[in-house]
Amino acid sequence: MSQYENVIMLPQTNQLKCLYTIIRDRNTRRGDFIFYSDRIIRLLVEEGLNQLPIESCQIQTPLGVSYDGHKFLGKICGVSIIRAGESMEQGLRDCCRSVRLGKILIQRDEETATPKLFYVKLPEDIPERYVFLLDPLLATGGSASMAVDVLLQKGVKEERILFLNVLASPEGIEVFKKKFPKIKVITGMIDQALDEKKFVVPGLGDFGDRYYCI
Amino acid sequence: MSPLSSEPPSKSATHTDLQANKYIPPWTSPYIIGVAGFSGSGKTTVAQKIIEQINEPWTVLLSMDNFYKPLTPEQRELAYRNEYDFDTPEAYDLEAFYNCIISLKEGKKTQVPVYSFALHNRTDESISIYGANVIIVEGIYSLYDPKVLALMDTKIYVDTDLDICYSRRLLRDIVERKRDIEGIIEQWEKFVKPSSVVSVKPTMYNADIVIPHGSDNTKAIDMIIKHIRKQLQKKSAEHLAHLARLGRMVAPINFNNIKALPKTNQLLGMKSIILNRETSNDDFIFYFDRIASTLISEALELVHYSPAPSDIITPNGYRITDGVVQAQEVVAVNIIKSGDCFMRSLRKIIPEAIVGKVLIQSDSQTGEPQLHTERLPKFSSGCKVLLFDAQVISGAAATMAIKVILDHDVEESEIVLVVYLASETGLRRILNAFPNVKIVVGNLSAVEPKEGQDNDTDWWMSMRFIDARYFGTD
Repeated sequence: MSQYENVIMLPQTNQLKCLYTIIRDRNTRRGDFIFYSDRIIRLLVEEGLNQLPIESCQIQTPLGVSYDGHKFLGKICGVSIIRAGESMEQGLRDCCRSVRLGKILIQRDEETATPKLFYVKLPEDIPERYVFLLDPLLATGGSASMAVDVLLQKGVKEERILFLNVLASPEGIEVFKKKFPKIKVITGMIDQALDEKKFVVPGLGDFGDRYYCI
Repeated sequence: MSPLSSEPPSKSATHTDLQANKYIPPWTSPYIIGVAGFSGSGKTTVAQKIIEQINEPWTVLLSMDNFYKPLTPEQRELAYRNEYDFDTPEAYDLEAFYNCIISLKEGKKTQVPVYSFALHNRTDESISIYGANVIIVEGIYSLYDPKVLALMDTKIYVDTDLDICYSRRLLRDIVERKRDIEGIIEQWEKFVKPSSVVSVKPTMYNADIVIPHGSDNTKAIDMIIKHIRKQLQKKSAEHLAHLARLGRMVAPINFNNIKALPKTNQLLGMKSIILNRETSNDDFIFYFDRIASTLISEALELVHYSPAPSDIITPNGYRITDGVVQAQEVVAVNIIKSGDCFMRSLRKIIPEAIVGKVLIQSDSQTGEPQLHTERLPKFSSGCKVLLFDAQVISGAAATMAIKVILDHDVEESEIVLVVYLASETGLRRILNAFPNVKIVVGNLSAVEPKEGQDNDTDWWMSMRFIDARYFGTD
């Protein structure tokens, strides 16, 4: 497990390592990349949902006996960072059928070399919801931080944001720990470092390209 | 000092435990009935009436015709000219017949050859028989070989007058088999009649019961059926008592073999949805699928993995040094139809998985589990078998399914039972019979529950409801 309280890493089982071995391999074709990434994303979503609260309730069983059960508490929505983050939307919908999905487009400004916000579309009532922020790679944390700023400006509570990513760098984790200590970061694996080009090492390449194009 | 008194009493107790541990399915000692008589005597009709009346879930009719010896080209020529003797005991492969019966008697999966009368040879096909509770062996020489007689529980001889047999045979061969009348008469005079008198008739003395006037004798057939039913009830009672003993065994459950899902918020919430009578079918299916995915993922942790080759490179050119690959094929087996609830989730996780099926149902009156059908693939050596059942209540069906899988040459330690709701009694029974089987369970009840804990008397631990709700058949 991770050493940070609000950073939750999936249990590093053999099965999970096997899935990562496949998606890291540059010889893995897109069909397999999508299939095995989707499996990891599903595990991330289940782990994320487990962070949500439940409350006690009485239910009626088919025999008419009441039973001390539990029900889910709080509404959620997903917000994906275009384009790679959209690959995680289906995984969320597999667990929450009609979940609302907001989108944020952030791109690097060619002149200033800093991330710039291009497009935001979020559900109206997002301040009342738990937000699953979706981006498969957490590298420098630059665009994810900007997305979080957008959410906070819209009135989302920091402790109600869950940031789901497939792969994280220690640097990216550090950024979130410092800037947004109340956000729960749910990640499948934390890699060794960033290289001089700000790629995660060993990483898995450009997630969006591999999921959509290559 | 006698050797018996020197033995400490504890040892004999252990011995009894060991015997109780071993699960003996009903087909390990199938009830075998032999039916003999002249050609045309009505053996097959008698056998079919018995099958209809005893109404056992898995009854097999085995004809000795399958055991004709393959003919040489010369013999085949004779056969086409009606000059080959098919009615002498020598025409049958009695050794193969005996081996087949003994294999069935031992409860093994048995291949029965298929003989083609058109080719006068064995075909490449064979019939596979496994798990039958009752086997009826029918043929003119089924009561001939003393070794085979010793394996039969009831031996019946259908005694019909030879001239009646002759007229029936004439009719059958002309009308059904379109053969010419001269050939039939010649064959009858030359082979059928002498063999019948010399070799078939004496086997009547090996029978327990002789039915005069053959298949028209309804009174005799009724009596036979009553007798067989009584024997089968006795057998069924023994099976049930045996299963009960397995559940009562006080040996503590080896929890190392049981992996129960943690009670996460999601699983607690989903359990309430599954148990709530207000839940729509839509929601029930959706949430069961989600639970099933989690259970399957958990089960896949038990598959063998090995280090990946060291030449895996990422798109950015970095070498993967700690890669892992799956080292074992996964084969699924569903207990129809409760295990079928896992199918959709399984297909999402392992789209190409091979799936075998077994249908096991409990007798509505006695509750005895009965194997109705099994369609299992050839298990590759060293594969992992995931056995799916949505609920384990008494554990009888799962115990039987595991035994079936073991009989198909799968290692006990490579079987993983995947189940959502399980009673402790049921799992105890399974592990007492098969201590090396692994179990992945969503909700495990306790026999001695603490406050707020599930227990074996909770209604969902004593009622099958998941498959009925999942498939909308309640």
